[in-house]
Amino acid sequence: MKLLNVYRSEPSDDTKKLVEIVSEGREAEAFNLNVESPDYSALVDKVFSVDQTICWW
Amino acid sequence: MSKKVGFLLVNKEYTLDGIRSALGLAVENMYAYAYVMNNELADVSDYHKENIDWIRDMEGEVYTTEDANVENIGMVKISIEEIGKQLRDLDFVIPYGIMRSDKS
Amino acid sequence: MAKSLGIFVTSPQNMRHVMGITQAAKAKGSKVKVFFTWNGVHLTKCKEFPSLCELADEVSICADSYKKCGYDPIGDVPKGLEAKDMATQGQHGAIIEDYECYLTL
Repeated sequence: MKLLNVYRSEPSDDTKKLVEIVSEGREAEAFNLNVESPDYSALVDKVFSVDQTICWW
Repeated sequence: MSKKVGFLLVNKEYTLDGIRSALGLAVENMYAYAYVMNNELADVSDYHKENIDWIRDMEGEVYTTEDANVENIGMVKISIEEIGKQLRDLDFVIPYGIMRSDKS
Repeated sequence: MAKSLGIFVTSPQNMRHVMGITQAAKAKGSKVKVFFTWNGVHLTKCKEFPSLCELADEVSICADSYKKCGYDPIGDVPKGLEAKDMATQGQHGAIIEDYECYLTL
């Protein structure tokens, strides 16, 4: 199970806790959209390569 | 096989519509779960209460971290840790809307 | 081969991400469907929205949300959409059932 956690904003403590639980024991990657110029091409490549993507707030 | 979908609802301006959206998937023959986190709902209309009942009728559930939502609307109490464990079993996890809770 | 991608838009803040991801996915040959609901429908008023409709394979919005957000789903169909694209949550269901990859924005 490959998981991609995408962040649209700075994660709250609850978000961090959920990410930790959901990602435990899984091959998990992260991508931060909360930057001035996100690399959308790299994000799409990652989305295509994993089993599940979660776009946190 | 029916998909399992969870809506994470952290902002009371989005929560009732998120529940409606969850119902929209329940009627598409999916298992729909809503998790109302850190926001208390007041003056919930009969329409929205019926939406919650319909989700249950279709083997979904509406959970909440807030005691007031348990007492006032009959949602099922859950902790953040339990939400995390449930999310591991879902096919789709939907952090709905924007982050702004009563407690932020 | 590029996978198909469905995007469920619930936030009114992410138009640049919707456009950027759709452009990137289309450049890779992906089929892209976008569905806007609740406050996400405010993005139909962004100047980029008609371009998104041309770029993506399918774009639709929740007509009920559009009405609740103060717009007229019959007399004010957003530029780039047709009346048939003023839809229901069933479009979200179609993304989940028919598309290989899924994003929430």
